[in-house]
Amino acid sequence: MSHQLGRVVSVILQRYFGENVQKVGDDLFTYGSKPIALLVKSTGLSRIKVVESLRTLLKYDLAMFEPTPNEVIADYRLIPENVLLMIRYPRYLLQIKTKYGSEAEILIEELLQKACSTATVLLVSIAVKYKDDKEKNMTIVKLKDIFISLITAGYIQQASVAELKEGSEIPTLVPVATITPEIDVRAVIKIMNSGNLAESSDNVYWKVNYDRFHQDIRDEIMIKAITRRIDENAGELLRHMLQHMYLTSPAWAAESTLVPAVELREACLRAAADKPLLNQYFDQYLKVLEESGCGTVRADAGGRGYSVRGAGAARGCLLALLEGLVTERLGYKAARIFRIILDKKYIEEDDVQKNAMLPNKECKELSYKLLEEHFISLQPMRKTASAGGMNKAVYLFHINLHDVAHTVQDMCYKALGNVLRRASHERAAHARLLDKQRRVRSIVHGMRLRAEPQQNIDDVEETLTPSELAVLQGVEKRLKQLSAAELEIDKNLFILKWYFMYTH
Amino acid sequence: MSSEDTKEKILNLARKSSKGITDKDIIAEIPGISSVELVTALNDLLKQERFDLFNQNGSLIYKLKTQTNKHAIKGADNEEKVVYNLIEEAGNKGIWIRDIRIRSNLANTQLTKVLKNLESKKVIKAVKCVNASKKKVYMLYNLEPDRSLTGGAWYQDQDFESEFVDVLNVQCHRFLSQRADNMRNNPRGPVFGRTQAYATATEVQKYITDLGISKVVLDVDDVTTILNTLVYDGKVEKSVFPDGSNVYRAIETLIPSSGLVQVPCGICPLIQRCNSSGLITPQVCNYMTEWLE
Repeated sequence: MSHQLGRVVSVILQRYFGENVQKVGDDLFTYGSKPIALLVKSTGLSRIKVVESLRTLLKYDLAMFEPTPNEVIADYRLIPENVLLMIRYPRYLLQIKTKYGSEAEILIEELLQKACSTATVLLVSIAVKYKDDKEKNMTIVKLKDIFISLITAGYIQQASVAELKEGSEIPTLVPVATITPEIDVRAVIKIMNSGNLAESSDNVYWKVNYDRFHQDIRDEIMIKAITRRIDENAGELLRHMLQHMYLTSPAWAAESTLVPAVELREACLRAAADKPLLNQYFDQYLKVLEESGCGTVRADAGGRGYSVRGAGAARGCLLALLEGLVTERLGYKAARIFRIILDKKYIEEDDVQKNAMLPNKECKELSYKLLEEHFISLQPMRKTASAGGMNKAVYLFHINLHDVAHTVQDMCYKALGNVLRRASHERAAHARLLDKQRRVRSIVHGMRLRAEPQQNIDDVEETLTPSELAVLQGVEKRLKQLSAAELEIDKNLFILKWYFMYTH
Repeated sequence: MSSEDTKEKILNLARKSSKGITDKDIIAEIPGISSVELVTALNDLLKQERFDLFNQNGSLIYKLKTQTNKHAIKGADNEEKVVYNLIEEAGNKGIWIRDIRIRSNLANTQLTKVLKNLESKKVIKAVKCVNASKKKVYMLYNLEPDRSLTGGAWYQDQDFESEFVDVLNVQCHRFLSQRADNMRNNPRGPVFGRTQAYATATEVQKYITDLGISKVVLDVDDVTTILNTLVYDGKVEKSVFPDGSNVYRAIETLIPSSGLVQVPCGICPLIQRCNSSGLITPQVCNYMTEWLE
């Protein structure tokens, strides 16, 4: 829980939910957990507003509550990790679009916006929204099918159900196993036509399963890494291996159970058409994947089975990330020193210089810079006190990967916070113009619907002067760049989080 | 038997045994020699500086001096001889003036005079050490200084030639990258491809020599050092062939360089000083403004 994380969380809450939620969120972040009465006092907001904010936070799974020891009132707590996930929403959508098509994307988007919804409400609201859109041709039947397939694939799960325990006045949320539902399409269509959502008797709530998306992202990272390191065929082999892994092991296991080589071969045979080389040299690819795959895959002694090492892959990716960062910040020579220290575990300053093949002065300067930015640490080895002045301590350079990862995570938070802050600053600075543009657009849209003459529409559009348009274009471009940057930083945060899963 | 004959016999005996000879050895070799004759002969030889005298477990051992040794310090006085011996002992690693002083027990001024003397006679020379520029070491004039002193091919007059190293680094990487393409989708299988992608240090050395970019002759060890820097640059992977030789292969990083470093903050030197309010804030950050333009 760093100060920087608090900053990011605060800005995200402000962007998506406004100032009240931000205030409540900040307060919860600073104090850990708090009941409503104390929140009212410390935030200075009215009780109604605090309750509203908490409701929003709870609905989107950004906060949790638990009973205080007396079991009468509830303590609320913020979940900063989930707040950060809001940055990742565009990635989820892109991912689901490439896998299941644009209808699935719309479905997930709607569900993300609603946070938690019954199947009926979800389907009806989407169908109503796109009723007039002839291109997309959304029918309830089609949407239902996609909805069911997303549930089967695990992208959507049943939301936890509140249960009231005996002797307590605070309900607890109990996770429920997801069961694929039978959705009566006729009933849904009836509700849609009547337009009265209250008629629905559906009381099973659904929400998006982030973890499933993260698995996909993780797999993609691993496969891409292997493809870069070896080739496409090896990447394909790893894909098969991961698919088999999911059948028997927990998704985030540090080391999966063995995947039998025989099964893998069959899977590759089936996909032989577009990867003839993989099929032909199956055994060789397995061998190369194990030997040159940076610890992603490990064979058992007999070579009958292979296991995927999530922890190893995470470490490899983290190292690549750190090295990239050091290279960009301090140059490739510093990255060389970084790797030397990493390789030798503990090393003296002179030995670094010998291995790095750098001029003495430069090498020293870079080492100290690395030290200053907390990429490496110093371990003094004091000799036991003895007579004479020749009693110098030896200083060894060392890298504590876990600490460095934390440093970088903090840098990511800071950069993310800065980007978000800058974006909101841009928005605030041009608020008047953006607002005007929005109004003009909505007026024009209305006029088009009413089929008013083109002359009038042009008149309205011209209220935005060319200079204003130029400024707006600039702002839009900047905002776009900033949101692209958010996603990029989030990619790094993902790898860091993945690494922290295995080290504590 | 004349005294010359005796001396000759003793010398012959000494030449045969590298460990030196004792009185007993001589008596066994020349039976019937009187102790007076023996002592005169030995004293003569010692005077001519043909022997070094050692004391081992109470018995005296005579060891033949090497010929060069004998010639080099002709006409030198005792101090010079002692200093000369110390320097000779150090070989091509050289010996530091401080160590000479401690071991020879000579006063500082006297020692400097002796060293200057020897130097002017071109018997010894002073060599500057690369890892400590102020430290001078002495060694015999005809010796080639050790690598640890000169730093090998990478040093020119105690200056590290980083540009030279950089050029070699780039060339080695180019050579290995050309080979590495064999690995991808090799029609003869990945193991064959990988073997083709690997190169030994000897192969790289040959390539570098053929290029003719180096004025200095680089041996395999030099090239190995360069290859190791490439390994530490993360551009090359080191592996071992079944026959035990080290092989190298160009590789790509696991993940493309992106993310944090694409934002100015990722490479910003002021990231630690930046805050929500104050002089340095993201709202007014110049780096960010430039980046957004």
